[in-house]
Amino acid sequence: MSKISRRRFVEGTGAGLVATTVPLQGQTAKAAAAVPHTTVKLTVNGTVHRLDVEDRWTLAEVLRDHLGLTGSKIGCDRGECGACTVLLDGKNVYSCSQLAVWADGRTVQTVEGLAQNGKLDPLQEAFIEHDGPQCGFCTSGQLMSAKALLNHNPHPTTDEVRAGMTGNICRCGNYNHYVESVLAAAATLAADSRRKA
Amino acid sequence: MNTLKTVGHPTSRIDAEKRVTGTATYTGDLRLPGMLYARVLRSPHPHARIRRIDLSRAQALPGVKAILTHENCDVIWGSGDMRNKRYLFNDPVRFVGDAVAAVAATDRHTAEEATRLIAVDYEVLPFVLEPEDALKPGAPEIQPGGNLSPTARGAHEPEQYRRGNIDEGLRAADRVFEDQYSSPHINNAQLEPRVAIAQWDGDRLTVHTPTQGISNCHTEIARDLKLAPEKVRIICQFMGGGFGNKNQDHDFELMAAVLAQQAGAPVKIEFTRKEDFLAVHGRWPTKQYYKVGVRNDGTLTAIQLRGYSGMGPYRKGTGGIAGIEIYQCPHVERLVYPTYTNKAVSANLRGPDFPQGVFGIESLMDDVAYALKMDPVEFRLKNMTRKLNDQIPYTSIGLEDCIRRGAEAFEWRKRWHAPGEGSGPVKRGAGMAMGSFSSSMGRSSAVIDLDARGTYHLHVGVTDIGTGAKTTMALIAAEELGVPLEKIDVIWGDTDRCPFSVGESGSRTTTQTGWAVVEAAKDLKRQMAEKGLPQGNQLLTATVNANPAPLTGQARYSFVAHFAEVEVDTETGHVRVTKYVAAHDSGRIVNPLTAESQVKGGATMGIGMALHEELLYDRASGQPLNAGYYGARILTHLDTPEVDVLWIQTEDPYGPFGAKTLGEPTIIPSPASVGNAIHNAIGKRVNDLPITREKILGVLA
Repeated sequence: MSKISRRRFVEGTGAGLVATTVPLQGQTAKAAAAVPHTTVKLTVNGTVHRLDVEDRWTLAEVLRDHLGLTGSKIGCDRGECGACTVLLDGKNVYSCSQLAVWADGRTVQTVEGLAQNGKLDPLQEAFIEHDGPQCGFCTSGQLMSAKALLNHNPHPTTDEVRAGMTGNICRCGNYNHYVESVLAAAATLAADSRRKA
Repeated sequence: MNTLKTVGHPTSRIDAEKRVTGTATYTGDLRLPGMLYARVLRSPHPHARIRRIDLSRAQALPGVKAILTHENCDVIWGSGDMRNKRYLFNDPVRFVGDAVAAVAATDRHTAEEATRLIAVDYEVLPFVLEPEDALKPGAPEIQPGGNLSPTARGAHEPEQYRRGNIDEGLRAADRVFEDQYSSPHINNAQLEPRVAIAQWDGDRLTVHTPTQGISNCHTEIARDLKLAPEKVRIICQFMGGGFGNKNQDHDFELMAAVLAQQAGAPVKIEFTRKEDFLAVHGRWPTKQYYKVGVRNDGTLTAIQLRGYSGMGPYRKGTGGIAGIEIYQCPHVERLVYPTYTNKAVSANLRGPDFPQGVFGIESLMDDVAYALKMDPVEFRLKNMTRKLNDQIPYTSIGLEDCIRRGAEAFEWRKRWHAPGEGSGPVKRGAGMAMGSFSSSMGRSSAVIDLDARGTYHLHVGVTDIGTGAKTTMALIAAEELGVPLEKIDVIWGDTDRCPFSVGESGSRTTTQTGWAVVEAAKDLKRQMAEKGLPQGNQLLTATVNANPAPLTGQARYSFVAHFAEVEVDTETGHVRVTKYVAAHDSGRIVNPLTAESQVKGGATMGIGMALHEELLYDRASGQPLNAGYYGARILTHLDTPEVDVLWIQTEDPYGPFGAKTLGEPTIIPSPASVGNAIHNAIGKRVNDLPITREKILGVLA
C-alpha cells in the first residue's frame, strides 16, 4: 500500500476512496500452494463428499463455507458456547474445535439433516411449540445436543436434560423453554414408539 | 380486561420453522461473489501513543487487498462517542482492544495472518482503571479536558437530579443509613459475534449487518461516511441478539465499507469472540454511595446517591445509575459522575442504568427494613412509588399487585425468615426487589398493502433481535384488521423496503412501532370501506408515520417485582437459586408465549449478573483477564432455575391495545432479589457484584 497522507485521504473521500496497491496474482497462487492441503471423505447428512481441505480449516468452517451448511453457527470459535454443535459419528461435538482433517472417513449430522423426508424432527416441532429459540443463534446447537441426548437416553429427567445440554449457552436465557421442549419431544417419541409396538 | 381475538393468545413465532431448521439466514451465513474477509489488529496496551506502524510485511503477504490505519483513514465513528471525536482508528489508543488497523484479504486466515505481520511501535502511557482514581488530581488524562465526562451542554460536572432539600430530609429522619455498593463491567455476550458485509454498487453502499435498528444504522452510516441517505441500504434479516450493543451504527460496519471501497470488492468483516468481549462495549461498572433517612414507622424522608460510572475512554452511554425513583420520598439528591477510564468501553446492556442501581438501593432498603424490624415486602408496599418522582401520575400502575400477588405466588411468608436463621451448612433464604421502566410513546412508521388475493403486506422496519417482534407486529395487525394471522405477510429488516422504525432498543418496538401498525390498519379499514376491496392488480395502501404527542401531566411506565429463594452452602460459598417468581405489569401482553420467554431470559441474565459475571483486570498491567464465555461464567442450563412468570395486566389507555414495555424490565430487579435472598440466608451482606463464592466465604469468615 502506498503511503497516503491524511489530507489526500480526506480529499479522496469525496470522489471515492483512494485504492491501495493490489499484490500480484502469482503471489496469491504461490501462497495458496504453501498452505498444506489434505483430501478428506466426509459423510454429511447422508451425502458423501470428497473435499480438498486446508489443514487449518475447522469442521465448522468446512460445513459453513465450503458445503453451504450454514445452520451450524459459530458463536465463539473456541469451544465455549456450543452454537456450532454437530453430531460426529452420533456424538455431539463442537465443530469449531475439530479440524476438518480429523473428520476424514467419519459421519456428520447437522441441523439441516434433522428433518426427514420433509417432516420435522419431534425436537424441532417441540422447539416451535414451546418457543425454544429467541434470537435463534444457539438453537441449532441446542437441537443437536438434544438429539444426541435422546439418542442415548430416550427418557431423560429434567436434570438429565440440563446436564446433557449444559455445553450449549443461550444468552437470551431461554433454558427453561429449551428443557421443556426436549422433555416434550421425548414424550412424543415415547408415544410414537408405543403406537408402533 | 376484555379478551381479544388474536392479541393475548400464546402464538408460535411466524418464522419459528426457519429458526429450528437452520434456514434462517444470519449475516455471517451470507457469501457474495468475490467477497474478501477482514480482520482487525488491536492495541495490546491500555494507553499508548503510536509512534510508527510498519505495514510492509503485511502488504507483501499474498492475498492482502487493503489495510486501514489511523494514517490513511480518518472516518469519525459518530455513535462511538457522544462527546469526543472518536475515529475508527485512534492515536493514542486508550484501552486494550482499541482498533489499530483493519486488513481485507482473500480469506480470513490470510487476513488474520496479515494483522500479525503489522509492526506497531508504541509509546506506552500511564493508565487508570477505576473511576474514582481517574478523578484524582494527577491521574492520566484520557480525553482532553479531564476524566469527568462532560454533560450534553459541555459542562464538566456530574449528572444531577434533586427534589426537596436533602439536608432537611436527613434532619427529619429518626435514623440515617449509609452504605456503598459496586458493580463490575460485564459484557452483553449475545451469541452472534459481530459480522458485517459491505458492498458498493458505484456510489451506492449496501451493508448487511446484525443491527437492533436498521433506521438508526442507516442514518448514522450515511452521516459517518458523508453519503446521502438514499445512497445507503441496510439489510438485517435474522440477527443473533444484542441486548443493547447493536443499537447504533458500529465501527465494524464502517470499516467494512471503507475496506470494500478501497479494495473494489465486497468485504465481510468478522470479530472474534474475544474482540466482541473487549472491543465493543458492556455494562458500565459503578460505585454507589447512599444515605437514606427514615422515620421509625418506616416512612422515608431522604435518599441521597453519589455514584461513579466507568465509561471506558469514550462516552458511548449515559452512565446513569437508576433505581431510587421506585421509592416515594420528599427529599432526593442524585449525583452521578460518568468518568473516563482505560478499561473497555461501557454503554447499553439491557436496562442500561437500572439493574446495578436497583441492586444498590434495594440492598440498602432491605437493610433498612430489617433494622426497623419490618417485613421487606411490607416496607416496599409502604414506600413504593405512587407517582413518578412523587409528582406525575402514572397512566396505569400495577406495582402493588406485582408485589402482593408475586409474594403470594412465591409463598413469601413461608420462605422468608429473620436473616441468617437456620442451622446446618446449607442455608436457605428469600429476597425480593422491584423496579420500573419508562414505556413512553413515540415516533415510528408502518405501511400496509392489501392485494386482490386478500393478503396484507405489512412493512415494518423491525429486525427481531429475539423478542418475536415480527410476530408481535403481525398479531397487532391481524387484531386491528380482524383477519387471521396467516393473512399477514411481514416485510422487515431492509431500509429499501421498510419505513422508519424506532429500533429495538429501549423496549420500544411493541409500543411505538406497534402503535403505528394499529394506525395503519385503521387507515386501511377506512379505505376499504370507502373504495371497496382491490381488484386485479390493484393495491390498497395505508401509510402511517405515527408521532403521538408526548403525554403531558402523565407518565407511562412498566413495573416489576422479582422474588428469589436461594440455597447457600456456607462451607463452599456455592449459591443455588431454588425458586424464582417474576411478576410483571407490562399492560396487555400481546403474545404471552414469547413474552414469557423474555421474562425468563431477563431474570436468568440477572441471576448471572448477581452471581458470576465480571470482566477482571490486572491492576498492574491494565490487562483484561477473562474475556470470553468461559471466563465470564455466563449462566448455563445447569445454573438456571425454573422462572415462574406472573402477568399483572393493568388496563392502560395508551399503546397498542394497552401494551406497555417488557424486554428490559425483566432484568432490572433480578440481581437485587438474589442478593437480598443471599443476605436473608446467611445474615451477612455482600455489597459488591458479583456475589462470588470467595466473597460469601469472606463475609462469613
